[in-house]
Amino acid sequence: MQDQPTDESLVPDETRALVGTLVAEPVRAEITAKESQRYAQAVGDLDPVYFDIDAASAAGHPTLVAPPTFVTHAVVVGLPLDRIRTDGLFTGAMPMRLRVQRTMFGGEEWDFDAPVYVGDTITAETRLASIDEKAGSKGPFVRIVRETTFTNQHGDVVARSRQIGIAR
Amino acid sequence: MSPTQVHLEDVAVGAVLPRVVRNASRVQLFLYSAATWNPHRIHYDVDYARFEGHEDVLVHGPLQGAWLTQYVTSWAGPRARLLSVQWQNRASAFPERDLHFDGRVTAVDGDVVTLEITEADPDGRVLMPATATVRLPRRG
Repeated sequence: MQDQPTDESLVPDETRALVGTLVAEPVRAEITAKESQRYAQAVGDLDPVYFDIDAASAAGHPTLVAPPTFVTHAVVVGLPLDRIRTDGLFTGAMPMRLRVQRTMFGGEEWDFDAPVYVGDTITAETRLASIDEKAGSKGPFVRIVRETTFTNQHGDVVARSRQIGIAR
Repeated sequence: MSPTQVHLEDVAVGAVLPRVVRNASRVQLFLYSAATWNPHRIHYDVDYARFEGHEDVLVHGPLQGAWLTQYVTSWAGPRARLLSVQWQNRASAFPERDLHFDGRVTAVDGDVVTLEITEADPDGRVLMPATATVRLPRRG
Protein backbone atom coordinates (compact mmCIF):
# COMPACT_ATOMS: atom_id res chain seq x y z
CA MET A 1 0.00 0.00 0.00
CA GLN A 2 2.82 2.45 0.78
CA ASP A 3 5.58 2.80 -1.79
CA GLN A 4 8.93 4.44 -1.21
CA PRO A 5 8.76 8.14 -2.12
CA THR A 6 10.02 8.82 -5.62
CA ASP A 7 9.98 11.82 -7.91
CA GLU A 8 6.75 10.48 -9.39
CA SER A 9 3.27 11.79 -8.56
CA LEU A 10 1.99 10.74 -5.12
CA VAL A 11 -1.15 9.53 -6.86
CA PRO A 12 -0.69 6.59 -9.25
CA ASP A 13 -2.80 6.72 -12.42
CA GLU A 14 -4.69 3.60 -11.34
CA THR A 15 -5.84 5.47 -8.20
CA ARG A 16 -6.75 8.62 -10.13
CA ALA A 17 -8.97 6.42 -12.34
CA LEU A 18 -11.08 5.54 -9.28
CA VAL A 19 -12.57 9.06 -8.98
CA GLY A 20 -16.34 8.80 -9.20
CA THR A 21 -16.44 5.09 -8.41
CA LEU A 22 -17.73 3.37 -5.27
CA VAL A 23 -14.90 2.76 -2.78
CA ALA A 24 -16.77 -0.06 -1.04
CA GLU A 25 -19.92 -2.13 -1.39
CA PRO A 26 -23.04 -0.19 -0.34
CA VAL A 27 -23.94 -0.86 3.30
CA ARG A 28 -27.43 -1.08 4.77
CA ALA A 29 -28.20 -0.76 8.48
CA GLU A 30 -31.18 -0.26 10.75
CA ILE A 31 -31.11 2.70 13.13
CA THR A 32 -31.78 1.25 16.58
CA ALA A 33 -32.66 3.20 19.72
CA LYS A 34 -30.00 1.41 21.77
CA GLU A 35 -27.11 2.22 19.41
CA SER A 36 -28.28 5.76 18.75
CA GLN A 37 -28.66 6.48 22.47
CA ARG A 38 -25.32 4.87 23.38
CA TYR A 39 -23.71 7.13 20.79
CA ALA A 40 -25.51 10.22 22.15
CA GLN A 41 -24.39 9.35 25.69
CA ALA A 42 -20.79 8.83 24.56
CA VAL A 43 -20.80 12.22 22.81
CA GLY A 44 -22.39 13.80 25.87
CA ASP A 45 -25.42 15.05 23.91
CA LEU A 46 -28.52 14.31 25.97
CA ASP A 47 -30.97 16.17 23.71
CA PRO A 48 -34.41 14.84 24.77
CA VAL A 49 -35.46 14.28 21.12
CA TYR A 50 -32.99 11.34 21.08
CA PHE A 51 -34.38 9.75 24.26
CA ASP A 52 -37.98 10.83 24.92
CA ILE A 53 -40.68 10.18 22.34
CA ASP A 54 -42.90 12.95 23.78
CA ALA A 55 -40.06 15.46 23.40
CA ALA A 56 -39.48 14.27 19.82
CA SER A 57 -43.20 14.60 19.10
CA ALA A 58 -43.34 18.11 20.61
CA ALA A 59 -40.50 19.09 18.26
CA GLY A 60 -42.50 17.91 15.24
CA HIS A 61 -41.00 14.45 14.72
CA PRO A 62 -42.96 11.18 14.24
CA THR A 63 -40.64 9.22 16.55
CA LEU A 64 -37.21 9.32 18.23
CA VAL A 65 -34.54 11.21 16.28
CA ALA A 66 -30.97 9.96 15.84
CA PRO A 67 -28.14 12.48 16.43
CA PRO A 68 -27.23 14.11 13.07
CA THR A 69 -23.85 12.49 12.44
CA PHE A 70 -24.69 9.12 14.06
CA VAL A 71 -25.73 7.75 10.68
CA THR A 72 -22.10 7.46 9.55
CA HIS A 73 -21.31 5.22 12.53
CA ALA A 74 -24.51 3.18 12.22
CA VAL A 75 -23.30 1.77 8.90
CA VAL A 76 -19.83 0.69 10.12
CA VAL A 77 -19.23 -2.94 9.25
CA GLY A 78 -17.38 -4.92 11.91
CA LEU A 79 -14.51 -7.16 10.87
CA PRO A 80 -12.80 -10.07 12.64
CA LEU A 81 -9.83 -9.31 14.91
CA ASP A 82 -7.34 -10.76 12.43
CA ARG A 83 -8.29 -8.00 9.99
CA ILE A 84 -7.06 -5.29 12.40
CA ARG A 85 -3.66 -3.71 11.71
CA THR A 86 -1.00 -2.65 14.24
CA ASP A 87 -2.48 0.86 14.42
CA GLY A 88 -5.89 -0.60 15.23
CA LEU A 89 -7.50 0.26 11.91
CA PHE A 90 -9.25 -2.38 9.86
CA THR A 91 -7.33 -3.62 6.83
CA GLY A 92 -8.91 -2.65 3.57
CA ALA A 93 -10.10 0.65 5.02
CA MET A 94 -8.29 2.41 2.19
CA PRO A 95 -8.08 0.16 -0.85
CA MET A 96 -6.44 2.77 -3.08
CA ARG A 97 -2.69 2.93 -3.67
CA LEU A 98 -0.87 6.16 -2.83
CA ARG A 99 2.84 6.92 -2.56
CA VAL A 100 2.49 8.35 0.95
CA GLN A 101 3.52 7.53 4.52
CA ARG A 102 0.54 8.70 6.54
CA THR A 103 -3.09 9.69 6.15
CA MET A 104 -4.78 12.15 8.50
CA PHE A 105 -8.33 13.24 9.10
CA GLY A 106 -8.63 16.67 7.47
CA GLY A 107 -12.23 17.51 8.19
CA GLU A 108 -15.74 16.81 7.12
CA GLU A 109 -18.68 18.49 5.40
CA TRP A 110 -22.28 17.42 6.03
CA ASP A 111 -25.58 18.24 4.39
CA PHE A 112 -28.64 17.14 6.35
CA ASP A 113 -31.59 16.81 3.99
CA ALA A 114 -34.04 15.14 6.39
CA PRO A 115 -33.95 13.82 9.95
CA VAL A 116 -32.88 10.21 10.56
CA TYR A 117 -35.32 8.35 12.82
CA VAL A 118 -35.03 5.30 15.01
CA GLY A 119 -36.43 2.42 12.96
CA ASP A 120 -35.17 3.79 9.63
CA THR A 121 -33.16 1.53 7.36
CA ILE A 122 -30.30 3.52 5.89
CA THR A 123 -28.26 2.63 2.83
CA ALA A 124 -24.84 4.24 2.54
CA GLU A 125 -22.93 4.52 -0.71
CA THR A 126 -19.42 5.94 -0.64
CA ARG A 127 -17.64 7.23 -3.72
CA LEU A 128 -14.19 8.66 -4.24
CA ALA A 129 -15.29 12.23 -5.04
CA SER A 130 -11.88 13.71 -5.76
CA ILE A 131 -8.19 13.15 -5.27
CA ASP A 132 -5.88 16.10 -5.78
CA GLU A 133 -2.17 16.52 -5.31
CA LYS A 134 -1.31 19.86 -3.75
CA ALA A 135 1.82 21.76 -2.77
CA GLY A 136 1.97 22.58 0.95
CA SER A 137 4.45 24.39 3.17
CA LYS A 138 5.66 20.97 4.42
CA GLY A 139 5.90 19.46 0.94
CA PRO A 140 3.41 17.90 -1.44
CA PHE A 141 0.28 16.28 -0.07
CA VAL A 142 -2.81 14.57 -1.41
CA ARG A 143 -6.34 15.74 -0.57
CA ILE A 144 -8.78 12.83 -0.76
CA VAL A 145 -12.54 13.41 -0.60
CA ARG A 146 -14.87 10.50 -0.04
CA GLU A 147 -18.55 11.35 -0.41
CA THR A 148 -21.17 9.19 1.24
CA THR A 149 -24.86 9.43 0.41
CA PHE A 150 -27.28 8.14 3.05
CA THR A 151 -30.71 7.09 1.76
CA ASN A 152 -33.64 5.90 3.87
CA GLN A 153 -36.15 3.09 3.23
CA HIS A 154 -38.46 5.54 1.39
CA GLY A 155 -35.72 6.32 -1.14
CA ASP A 156 -35.13 9.81 0.30
CA VAL A 157 -31.57 11.07 0.66
CA VAL A 158 -31.32 12.01 4.34
CA ALA A 159 -27.71 13.13 4.52
CA ARG A 160 -24.51 13.50 2.54
CA SER A 161 -21.04 13.60 4.05
CA ARG A 162 -17.74 14.49 2.45
CA GLN A 163 -14.81 13.18 4.48
CA ILE A 164 -11.54 14.88 3.72
CA GLY A 165 -8.31 12.93 4.14
CA ILE A 166 -4.86 14.48 3.95
CA ALA A 167 -2.05 12.10 2.93
CA ARG A 168 1.62 12.94 2.70
CA MET B 1 -36.94 21.90 32.34
CA SER B 2 -38.14 22.43 28.80
CA PRO B 3 -35.44 23.30 26.28
CA THR B 4 -35.26 26.89 25.06
CA GLN B 5 -36.12 27.73 21.48
CA VAL B 6 -34.38 30.40 19.42
CA HIS B 7 -36.64 32.11 16.87
CA LEU B 8 -35.66 33.83 13.65
CA GLU B 9 -36.74 37.16 15.13
CA ASP B 10 -34.21 36.70 17.96
CA VAL B 11 -31.08 36.70 15.80
CA ALA B 12 -29.18 39.20 13.68
CA VAL B 13 -25.83 39.19 11.90
CA GLY B 14 -23.09 39.63 14.47
CA ALA B 15 -25.03 38.00 17.32
CA VAL B 16 -22.71 36.01 19.58
CA LEU B 17 -23.59 32.54 20.85
CA PRO B 18 -22.81 31.70 24.47
CA ARG B 19 -19.51 29.85 25.00
CA VAL B 20 -19.63 26.15 25.86
CA VAL B 21 -16.61 24.59 27.62
CA ARG B 22 -15.96 20.87 27.31
CA ASN B 23 -13.35 18.67 28.89
CA ALA B 24 -13.24 15.05 27.68
CA SER B 25 -12.18 12.31 30.07
CA ARG B 26 -10.27 9.26 28.87
CA VAL B 27 -13.33 7.23 29.76
CA GLN B 28 -15.42 9.32 27.38
CA LEU B 29 -12.94 8.72 24.54
CA PHE B 30 -13.07 4.98 25.26
CA LEU B 31 -16.89 4.98 25.27
CA TYR B 32 -16.98 6.95 22.01
CA SER B 33 -14.57 4.46 20.39
CA ALA B 34 -16.83 1.62 21.56
CA ALA B 35 -20.09 3.28 20.53
CA THR B 36 -18.73 3.97 17.04
CA TRP B 37 -16.91 0.60 16.67
CA ASN B 38 -13.60 2.41 16.16
CA PRO B 39 -10.52 0.35 17.12
CA HIS B 40 -7.92 3.04 16.22
CA ARG B 41 -5.22 2.83 18.91
CA ILE B 42 -4.29 6.54 18.95
CA HIS B 43 -7.50 7.18 20.90
CA TYR B 44 -6.88 4.83 23.88
CA ASP B 45 -3.28 3.55 23.90
CA VAL B 46 -1.02 6.38 25.06
CA ASP B 47 2.22 4.46 24.36
CA TYR B 48 1.09 3.81 20.81
CA ALA B 49 -0.05 7.43 20.35
CA ARG B 50 3.44 8.60 21.44
CA PHE B 51 5.04 6.07 19.07
CA GLU B 52 3.13 7.84 16.28
CA GLY B 53 4.50 11.19 17.50
CA HIS B 54 1.48 12.51 19.44
CA GLU B 55 1.94 13.87 22.96
CA ASP B 56 -1.08 11.97 24.32
CA VAL B 57 -4.10 10.04 23.06
CA LEU B 58 -6.14 12.14 20.65
CA VAL B 59 -9.76 13.20 20.81
CA HIS B 60 -11.46 11.69 17.75
CA GLY B 61 -12.03 14.20 14.93
CA PRO B 62 -15.66 13.12 14.43
CA LEU B 63 -16.31 13.43 18.19
CA GLN B 64 -15.22 17.07 17.99
CA GLY B 65 -17.45 17.34 14.93
CA ALA B 66 -20.35 15.92 16.94
CA TRP B 67 -19.69 18.53 19.65
CA LEU B 68 -19.70 21.31 17.04
CA THR B 69 -23.00 19.93 15.74
CA GLN B 70 -24.41 19.75 19.27
CA TYR B 71 -23.23 23.31 19.93
CA VAL B 72 -25.57 24.43 17.13
CA THR B 73 -28.57 22.19 17.89
CA SER B 74 -28.53 22.88 21.63
CA TRP B 75 -28.36 26.64 21.00
CA ALA B 76 -31.03 26.65 18.28
CA GLY B 77 -33.59 24.52 20.12
CA PRO B 78 -35.81 21.54 19.27
CA ARG B 79 -37.90 23.15 16.51
CA ALA B 80 -34.88 24.35 14.55
CA ARG B 81 -33.47 22.14 11.76
CA LEU B 82 -29.76 21.76 11.21
CA LEU B 83 -29.10 21.93 7.45
CA SER B 84 -25.34 21.64 7.14
CA VAL B 85 -22.09 21.71 9.05
CA GLN B 86 -18.47 21.75 7.89
CA TRP B 87 -15.39 21.45 10.06
CA GLN B 88 -11.66 21.51 9.40
CA ASN B 89 -9.17 19.59 11.51
CA ARG B 90 -6.41 22.14 12.13
CA ALA B 91 -4.69 20.86 15.30
CA SER B 92 -5.01 17.91 17.68
CA ALA B 93 -7.28 17.96 20.72
CA PHE B 94 -6.38 16.02 23.87
CA PRO B 95 -8.42 14.70 26.82
CA GLU B 96 -8.49 16.35 30.26
CA ARG B 97 -8.04 19.83 28.78
CA ASP B 98 -10.67 22.51 28.36
CA LEU B 99 -12.02 23.07 24.86
CA HIS B 100 -13.87 26.31 24.17
CA PHE B 101 -16.73 26.41 21.68
CA ASP B 102 -17.71 29.87 20.42
CA GLY B 103 -19.93 31.01 17.59
CA ARG B 104 -21.51 34.00 15.94
CA VAL B 105 -24.13 34.65 13.30
CA THR B 106 -22.54 35.63 9.99
CA ALA B 107 -25.59 35.65 7.69
CA VAL B 108 -29.38 35.49 7.77
CA ASP B 109 -31.05 34.49 4.50
CA GLY B 110 -34.83 34.03 4.79
CA ASP B 111 -35.21 31.65 7.73
CA VAL B 112 -31.72 30.15 7.33
CA VAL B 113 -29.00 31.36 9.65
CA THR B 114 -25.29 30.83 8.98
CA LEU B 115 -22.96 30.45 11.95
CA GLU B 116 -19.20 30.63 12.20
CA ILE B 117 -17.93 28.44 15.04
CA THR B 118 -14.58 27.66 16.57
CA GLU B 119 -13.30 24.98 18.87
CA ALA B 120 -10.21 26.41 20.57
CA ASP B 121 -7.86 25.69 23.45
CA PRO B 122 -7.90 28.07 26.47
CA ASP B 123 -5.12 30.16 24.85
CA GLY B 124 -7.41 30.85 21.92
CA ARG B 125 -5.59 28.61 19.45
CA VAL B 126 -8.25 27.30 17.05
CA LEU B 127 -8.25 23.50 16.76
CA MET B 128 -11.31 23.21 14.53
CA PRO B 129 -12.92 26.07 12.64
CA ALA B 130 -16.45 25.29 11.47
CA THR B 131 -19.49 26.73 9.76
CA ALA B 132 -23.10 25.61 10.02
CA THR B 133 -26.48 26.53 8.60
CA VAL B 134 -29.69 26.09 10.56
CA ARG B 135 -33.35 26.84 9.74
CA LEU B 136 -35.07 28.66 12.60
CA PRO B 137 -38.81 28.77 13.29
CA ARG B 138 -40.64 32.11 13.29
CA ARG B 139 -42.30 33.34 16.46
CA GLY B 140 -46.03 32.75 16.85
